[in-house]
Amino acid sequence: MNSPSFNAWKLVSLSPLPVWALVLLGVGLVLGIALAAWGVRREPSRGRKLLLWGLRIGAGVAAFFFLLEPGIRHLQVARMKNRVAVLVDRSASMNFPSEPGGPTRSAQVAAFLEKAAPTFASWQDRFTVEVYGVDPELAPVTAAQLAQEPARAGTTDLLAALRSAASGGQGSRKLSGVLLFSDGADNTELKAGAVGRARAALTDLGVPVSTFLVGQEALKDLSVEGLKVDDFAFVRNSLTVEVEIHGRGFSGQDIPVVLSQEGKTVASKLVKMTTGDDVKPVSFTFTPDQTGRFVYTVTVPTFPDEAVSDNNSRSFTLKVIRDRVRVLLVVGRPSWDERFLRGLLKQDANVDLVSFYILRTLSDDPGVSNERELSLIPFPMEEIFDTKLHTFDVVIFQNFGYSDPSLSIAEYERNLERYIHEGGAFVMIGGDSVLGEGRASMPTLMEALPVEAAGPANADPFKPRLTPEGLRHPVTSIGTGAASTEGTWGELAPIPGANLTRARPGATVLMDHPFMTVDGKNAPLVSVWDYGRGRAMVVATDATWSWAFTAHREGSPNRAYDRFWGNALRWLVRDPDLTTLKVTADPPSVEPGRPVGVVVQARMADYQPAEGAQVRVELFSVATQKPVAVQTGTTGADGVVRLEFAPPAPGPYKLLASAKKGETDLGKGEDAVAVRAVGPELSDASVRPTLMEQIASITEGKAYKLPQDGMPDVPLLDPPVVEVGRAKDQPLWDRWYYLVALIALLGAEWFARRRFGYV
Amino acid sequence: MPVRSLTRRNLLLATSALVPLLSRRAAAFGEKSRFIPAVARHGGRWDGRLSGLRRLAWELQRRTSVEVVPDARPFALSSPDLFEYPFLYFGGDGPFPALSDAEVSNLRRYLTYGGFVFGDANDGSDGDGFDASFRREMARVLPQSPLKEAPSTHVVFKSFFLLDAAPGRLLHKPLPLVASVGKRAAIIYSQNDVAGAWSRSESGDYEFDVSPGGEPQRELAIRLGINLCMYALCLDYKDDAVHLPLILNKRR
Repeated sequence: MNSPSFNAWKLVSLSPLPVWALVLLGVGLVLGIALAAWGVRREPSRGRKLLLWGLRIGAGVAAFFFLLEPGIRHLQVARMKNRVAVLVDRSASMNFPSEPGGPTRSAQVAAFLEKAAPTFASWQDRFTVEVYGVDPELAPVTAAQLAQEPARAGTTDLLAALRSAASGGQGSRKLSGVLLFSDGADNTELKAGAVGRARAALTDLGVPVSTFLVGQEALKDLSVEGLKVDDFAFVRNSLTVEVEIHGRGFSGQDIPVVLSQEGKTVASKLVKMTTGDDVKPVSFTFTPDQTGRFVYTVTVPTFPDEAVSDNNSRSFTLKVIRDRVRVLLVVGRPSWDERFLRGLLKQDANVDLVSFYILRTLSDDPGVSNERELSLIPFPMEEIFDTKLHTFDVVIFQNFGYSDPSLSIAEYERNLERYIHEGGAFVMIGGDSVLGEGRASMPTLMEALPVEAAGPANADPFKPRLTPEGLRHPVTSIGTGAASTEGTWGELAPIPGANLTRARPGATVLMDHPFMTVDGKNAPLVSVWDYGRGRAMVVATDATWSWAFTAHREGSPNRAYDRFWGNALRWLVRDPDLTTLKVTADPPSVEPGRPVGVVVQARMADYQPAEGAQVRVELFSVATQKPVAVQTGTTGADGVVRLEFAPPAPGPYKLLASAKKGETDLGKGEDAVAVRAVGPELSDASVRPTLMEQIASITEGKAYKLPQDGMPDVPLLDPPVVEVGRAKDQPLWDRWYYLVALIALLGAEWFARRRFGYV
Repeated sequence: MPVRSLTRRNLLLATSALVPLLSRRAAAFGEKSRFIPAVARHGGRWDGRLSGLRRLAWELQRRTSVEVVPDARPFALSSPDLFEYPFLYFGGDGPFPALSDAEVSNLRRYLTYGGFVFGDANDGSDGDGFDASFRREMARVLPQSPLKEAPSTHVVFKSFFLLDAAPGRLLHKPLPLVASVGKRAAIIYSQNDVAGAWSRSESGDYEFDVSPGGEPQRELAIRLGINLCMYALCLDYKDDAVHLPLILNKRR
């Protein structure tokens, strides 16, 4: 009766009655049986009672069978083929040896997959086995490729790979299981282990993941890990860098750890490894003394038998910024110029002011019998001009210069000159004691200044004149534009006298005297220049206070004095916003094999964007002190251009930029970039069996370790069975003997009841 | 008040004392950079202590490194020229009429943008005379900054000499009053006729006796005057951290 094409059957009800009707009738049948049982409850004969119950139950079942109309449904069905995803970690750490002197971890996986090929073949009636490399995207891979092509992914993200495998695959085939081959060195979502969200995500996969750990734990390796440092630090403020030194196989050994800044050792420490697999935290506290971006490197020695040598150093860039500008104000004698400058500097929250005023000289007689009656302190020349000089961002000499041995700085002039040359900032404010007027000459210090004395001072009041350079220079640019700047200066009160000076070659004169001349040129009033790595400025008068006070005589308040000195301080300390060429490494720390990017922003002297400027950037190796590559480009309308260098060798680099627009030099700028020797992937050669076991446990898979003799019996979900063809129903109830049986049972019960005296 | 007799010795001394003021480059580099006291010319008797200011300038030149121009410059309080002289002496003997609105406005601007006023009751008045007029007018000039007694720790007591009080020709009030603009004392006011203790006659003698302390008190008054000038020139310099340990040690 069954067609040969049908390969399955099932019992079904063929009754046309709706379900509710069947339910009602069923309930009626149950009640009928119950009533019959109730009716014979007092029957003393157990046999009679059982006979009557049995007959009524039999009749009930027969009636129910009659109502349900049972039938056999013949079916044509097929079993679906599911997927089994074999995921092989292709991160760079899989190139590490699986055991000392052994094949790489990838090669070990390849060997195992070749051995497992017959098992995979035996699964083919139920599963399609798909082998993927995790790179970090899933890509089909063969055992031969695993053995020949080195793994190269910079990160290990096992969870993403599992998610991808669960959601992807060929057609609509369901996933029956995952076989995951990895060293477990996850450095993304599962870095901290299968906990929290990661654990929930693994549970949500809904398929067993069987893990195969590759690699042994007993490698010998030393690595710098767990670097913790802020992106920026404040100059002259202590800073702490924390690292973890991970040593495997160095039990009992002392390991020197060195922190260096671009080749110069900053600090070093010795750590002792106490166990065979030990992680020791090391912290370095140091105080950067210069602003800018620098490359720092933490290094441990490389031992000959280490598994990985590239992870023995780790570089990072640190941007050192100023928190407050530290200003040293040295004043030759109290004056109104000093008083207003002090008032301005003291009220500026960004300025940390240290002052020393000469309130009394040896020729002054304070008229006291005991020095205790005076509040004066000795002038601490050695402390401020020798030991503490480097701690100041700006040194201001205000009409300061003495030949008196107790007040002369002749002994410290060279210190000051070197301080400026090595990156300091210096301002000399004129007056009747300096710049050719005074009590002392300071020939060494004068070398660092943009002007030199040229004769006696002129005490005639005058209105200073802004030079073309001064119109656009950030120091004297006190308006919102050139016209505003010129107008503001023009409205200011006259200056009562100036020192006569001569600009040195290379100096930029920002303001000059309108009629006092030197060598046929107008005498400079405000002059600036770069001296070595530092900057110097000379204001050839001690009367700028009149811009602060006298300027208010007509009742129109202005802030020209505040802006002038504020600009001067910002320019002197090289405020990044005041540079015409801004160079920014993009990003400041580059992973191995990645290009080095740099963004250059060029501005004209008036600080407008320099469109179409020719920019040249040199990638300079700090380690070898040699240029590595040069890139050129042209700025866009916003004065910005981004350039890119091919991936260089690991190490610290400087990006040295210069720009020109036509024949106009737009200045120079620099930034630092660290090209890492190893990314996070190669910094740790260890394997993580615990993570692999966790993944297997959470997903109800099993955890194994390579090598294995063959494919073990991994848990996989059975593929589902589905109806793929026609069905045929064969009724079972439409037979005469079913009806006879029902009537016979009911008749027999009736007869028995009559016989037992119940009717 | 007794006046010292004009002897040849006193005349020579007084004359020689002025020599330093005329020496060096007193006007070689713009005298306005030097310390020149301006004097407020108001409607009352304002000019009774000009010789005292001259004497103070002389003492300032002799005892400190400050360069001075000795002659005080009187100005009307409405004069814009005040803005070339950040130190203004505002003294008087007896009451004076209310300042005009222009004077009040000019003086307010003067004090707001950095000027300093030393008020000095030449009549030693308290609640009447100059005192009443000065308090009334300063309340108009700086209504937001009332005069308050200076604490004994105020920097004016250590800006050059270490002082414990602020005596003048008299010693009615050991501590002066202060009105501040921000953290800066814009007005310091004494009811002790400080300039009276400085004043000398043309013959060089001190014009007024000093009580109750006599000549030692006069010396303290001169020191107070120098401290006032130093404060006007250096502000709170002596409150800088570098000075504090030494000053505390000296005050023990």
